[in-house]
Amino acid sequence: MKPIFIFFSLIFLAITVFSQENYDSDLIPSNLKNRANATIRKEETVIDMRAPDNVILSVKKAITVLNKNGDDKARLVLFYDKSTSIKSINGEVYNAAGILTKKFTQSNFSDESAADGFSLFVDSRVKHYLPSENVYPYTVVYNYEIRFKQNLIIPDWVPQDEDDISVEKSSYTFISKPTDELRIKTQSFEGKPEETINDKQKILVWKVTNLPAVRPEPYSPGRKSYQTSVKIATKNFTYYNHSGSYTNWQELGKWNYDDLLKNKKNLPPATVQTIAELVANEKTDKDKARKIYEYMQKKTRYISVQIGIGGFQPVSASEVDRLGYGDCKALVNYTQSLLDVAGIESYYCIVEAGNKKVSLDPNYASMVQGNHIILCMPLKGDTTWLECTSQKIPFGFLSTFTDDRLVLACTKDGGKLLKTPKLSTAENLQIRNAELKILPNGNVIGTMKTTFSGSQYDNNEELIEKAPLEQKKLLAKVYDIDNINFNTVNYIQRKNTDPEIIETINLEMPHYGTINNNRLFLKLNAFNVQNTISEVRNRTKPVYINRGFTDEDTIVYNLPDEIEKNLLPESDKKLKSIFGEYTCRTILDDKKLIFYRKLVMNEGTFPPETYAEFFKFTTEVNTADNLKLILSLKK
Amino acid sequence: MRKISLLIIFSFSLFTTYAQNFNFGTITLDDIDFDRNKIDSNANAVVLKEFGTASVQISDRTGSTELIFEYHVKIKIFNKEGYEQANVVIPTYKDGTREELISAIRASTFNYENGGFVESVMDKKSIFTENKSKYTVLTKFTLPNIKNGSVIEYSYRLESPNLFNFKTWEFQSDIPKVYSEYLVYIPAIYNYNVSLRGFNKLSDTRSELAKECMRINGTPIDCSKIWYIMKNVPAFVEEDYMTAASNFKSAIHFELSDQQMLYGGSQKYTKTWKDIDYELTSEKSLGAQMKRKDLFKDAMPAILKNSTDDLSKAKAIFEYIKKQIKWNNYLGKYSEDNIKKALDLRSGNVADINLSLISALSAANLDAEAVILSTRENGIVNKLFPVISDFNYLIAKVNINDKSYLLDASEPLAPFGLLPLRCINDQGRVINLKKPSYWIDLVAGQKTSTSYIMEGKLEANGKIKGTITTHSTGYAALNKRTEIKKYSSPDEYVESLDERLPKIQILKQQIKNIDSIENILTEIYDVEFSPIANASNDDLFFNPFFINPVSKNPFKLSMRTYPVDLGAASDERVIINIVLPGKHEMTEKPKDLAIGLPNGGGRYMLKTLVEDNSLSFSQILQFNKAIYQPDEYPYLKEFYSKIIQNQKADVLLKKTK
Repeated sequence: MKPIFIFFSLIFLAITVFSQENYDSDLIPSNLKNRANATIRKEETVIDMRAPDNVILSVKKAITVLNKNGDDKARLVLFYDKSTSIKSINGEVYNAAGILTKKFTQSNFSDESAADGFSLFVDSRVKHYLPSENVYPYTVVYNYEIRFKQNLIIPDWVPQDEDDISVEKSSYTFISKPTDELRIKTQSFEGKPEETINDKQKILVWKVTNLPAVRPEPYSPGRKSYQTSVKIATKNFTYYNHSGSYTNWQELGKWNYDDLLKNKKNLPPATVQTIAELVANEKTDKDKARKIYEYMQKKTRYISVQIGIGGFQPVSASEVDRLGYGDCKALVNYTQSLLDVAGIESYYCIVEAGNKKVSLDPNYASMVQGNHIILCMPLKGDTTWLECTSQKIPFGFLSTFTDDRLVLACTKDGGKLLKTPKLSTAENLQIRNAELKILPNGNVIGTMKTTFSGSQYDNNEELIEKAPLEQKKLLAKVYDIDNINFNTVNYIQRKNTDPEIIETINLEMPHYGTINNNRLFLKLNAFNVQNTISEVRNRTKPVYINRGFTDEDTIVYNLPDEIEKNLLPESDKKLKSIFGEYTCRTILDDKKLIFYRKLVMNEGTFPPETYAEFFKFTTEVNTADNLKLILSLKK
Repeated sequence: MRKISLLIIFSFSLFTTYAQNFNFGTITLDDIDFDRNKIDSNANAVVLKEFGTASVQISDRTGSTELIFEYHVKIKIFNKEGYEQANVVIPTYKDGTREELISAIRASTFNYENGGFVESVMDKKSIFTENKSKYTVLTKFTLPNIKNGSVIEYSYRLESPNLFNFKTWEFQSDIPKVYSEYLVYIPAIYNYNVSLRGFNKLSDTRSELAKECMRINGTPIDCSKIWYIMKNVPAFVEEDYMTAASNFKSAIHFELSDQQMLYGGSQKYTKTWKDIDYELTSEKSLGAQMKRKDLFKDAMPAILKNSTDDLSKAKAIFEYIKKQIKWNNYLGKYSEDNIKKALDLRSGNVADINLSLISALSAANLDAEAVILSTRENGIVNKLFPVISDFNYLIAKVNINDKSYLLDASEPLAPFGLLPLRCINDQGRVINLKKPSYWIDLVAGQKTSTSYIMEGKLEANGKIKGTITTHSTGYAALNKRTEIKKYSSPDEYVESLDERLPKIQILKQQIKNIDSIENILTEIYDVEFSPIANASNDDLFFNPFFINPVSKNPFKLSMRTYPVDLGAASDERVIINIVLPGKHEMTEKPKDLAIGLPNGGGRYMLKTLVEDNSLSFSQILQFNKAIYQPDEYPYLKEFYSKIIQNQKADVLLKKTK
């Protein structure tokens, strides 16, 4: 009993000290006000792991909102569900001078479903509070306590999670039993935590002070890859009446396989028979898998329902078979079950999906690093990956959603980290050929054919099954030219492992060429102009380009007879930089004006000082792309 | 038991009369083969048939009168984009004492396989109830085995204690409908005002008497039985520059006007404006709060110490209230508690703030009234009869000499007489403590204009250096001030502006009157840029449209169904004077242009000339109206198109020796 008593008095002490803080906003050091929309004056996070099914999180946070852009930083959002209960919340609001103006309690919080917008049903809920203050600066102080009935997921510490927040003081205290085995992952933290051990408790404390806000810089690596953070995982855990232990990916993958995925693969006999007949005439495993995948795509659709441990555990294959829908876990598990029927081995893989590539941390295993499930078939060396939640995506193609990153395969032998295939600069192609005609009045008509592959296939996939009217509406945004009109639009989808979309458009651009004083003004590059990037001086972070690409445009303009010749100005351009290469050329061949453009943009991480070069490169490309030609007309 | 048997007879009689609900699960080959080209070749899904019925009955559960609404629909799904029609969400309302209930949900998917229909019945387990917020419950379900070509069918029953608005029926939704029918039974003891909104006409409507359709305490009551039918209803597609969708969506709306009491007498709900005037002026959270002159007696001398005439008094009071009470981001036509509390807390909703303003103006012996209105997002108010629930906002009106000013003190950056854009929505109703109420147009009380004046010099190194001075008024100033105020300092605002303009460098800046909002907002930027795109020989190419160019046509669609609502009239002028090194001749230039919209709706003028050593350029773009009707749309589109074409042309200067 004694140590608990000590702990309580400690907390009590902390509270009394805290409430005597002075929240006068003038006390914020000026280096912390610079570029900040809000300043965390003090944040104390204490996690007390009393038992695997009793983890208490208590937070005291004082944040000063400096201007309107900072309003949202004062919002408090707390999730809760069957395994997470909110024990208490209260808080105060102080004005600029640090005088208490308002108090609030749990009853002032709105309580809403935590539905994420794409799930049909999610059983977790949120309580949230946003103070309505209009006079800046103001300070909000929150005190809250949450009880977790599990210790598989322990809240991380991220003292500064956004660029425009500065931090005066922040600390993270983790209390466990001396016998608990912990794994701790710290990032960008200098030094060691303060450690106190007695026979009942082990207390670890991390602290930071004076973190200034940072200016957002375009093309930076994701904040998560460099911000200060502490993550903790315990060896033995409990979660919704399941328990287990792990210290690495191998063991965590094994637990997933043995516990969460167990007994989920039953299929009704009719389906087993259908699959057997379906693949009977296919010779290779890959061809069989393709048939099965297409069957699955036709039969199912993605519907997300997340209840309790259902967040980590799929519903059974027979359920998906009956309903014809499921979430990523259910659909992967279902596809895996179908493949089992044909005797094809596959792995259930946990991945962090999203356009930005994020790998699972090879040196630190934990439960919540992934947000999606995909399927991997080893196929005796011809490794093939399947995305099971889309009805459109080709067999064997993962798309930019899950490309080029480390994922956890949960197999009968335990977890294995695997890398998904990369979409390279040379593969991410957009090849365009247009044959256009300029009419004497400046109108331009003609046909344009564009082939998209690699990551550029992805960018265009959503268009292909839309209704024609909808396609034209979306195309008017892609090819944003005044009054552009699409007479016909046609898409061909080549569903290979390296898929392609071929877009053929017949278009009209009234008055695209402007006639003025017997001259024709024509912007040669009508469809593919490189955007400029913002000019940031004194760049601090590396330049990160997530994915490279290659664009090649050839546009043939058939000129009207009224054009006088030999008037072509010097306009060819060749640029080369570590960021890529650019070529544009114009050739006049009798009545044909041929414009050729090629842009290769490289991916990678480049040193901060190269940003100026990146800026120069994109600006020069933009200038060249905006080139206008002036052609004289015969009198 | 009596009630139930009555119901059965009732539904039987329904069977034999006019149209009727269709049987669940009667899918035909016509449904499966339905060709979407018959209604909309772009449809991803189509409502084949939709039937709803609403009536008033005594609830077994609560013993009080309740609205019973039954809904039944059959939808054909054509492709994957249409699959979302199989995910159904039914929102219902609840509060502490009353709630709406959904029951009897039935749903099936029908697929035509191997020459026969296969029905997949939705499991009751697949129905989820989500308590979305304090007042909203969502009933959600999804249908099984959806494929291209599936026909889905579902029905449910809603019980609602809310009789006031009966049950709105939306004929139009995001997919087209082949047939939509609504049948209502309105007991003779209730009188409803019924309004049909939207651009589509009813295909058919009919009414008849239904004898003894319900019984209250043994007394039989007759009903009006009314059918509303719409056929081939197009999908509702939202367009840009459009106010609230509810203004335009085809739907039937109801509001209870009065109820006959069983034992004589009647209770009025929707009333004449005379009744509403009496009600609002005597309402303790509205009329009573307009009379609280006492609250300002003590402060008034200090507020008015520098004011002599009535207008300057009104302005001083307006500024005082803006500083005194901060808006808590809630709308409303009623004070949350009372204005004294709002003044004490220095925080309140829109009504708190503007009722305080009215009381304060009255305390200074100025003639102040209240105006209730509906915000742009809330839709346009019904003007055929008073629908008090349509109004969600209250502002002040002060009359000085022959002029009147509309005031909203909830927006600290809005000058005297300029309502925030959210209030500019058709008409509001003026509520006076002594006189009858009347309608007033809600228009911007100040002109919205921006002018850019650039004085520059073309330097020997090919760069242009100069000063751009921008003056903004009206909404242009309000929007800009709001934007600047989002940053910690004007310097940080300019820094981000500079970053957004990669080809122009801002060397020095000055922003005047950020806080003196009654004055013109002025920005002065010293800039440098290299505008010469392709210089060869001694020729200088130069595109003069670098300040706020119109590069994109905001109107891309070829057709427009709904009015274009720009919010307010506007005026933008650009004047550029550039001193050139030495004598130049202008061999090319954008055409001098003067074009206009029909009926003085707007104009665009452009003039470029070189005189002596200087290039001068002037451009005016004016929109004289806030709202353009659909028939004016092609002109607007063409107007923009002409401007864009003209702005593509460059100035070409040749040095003359």
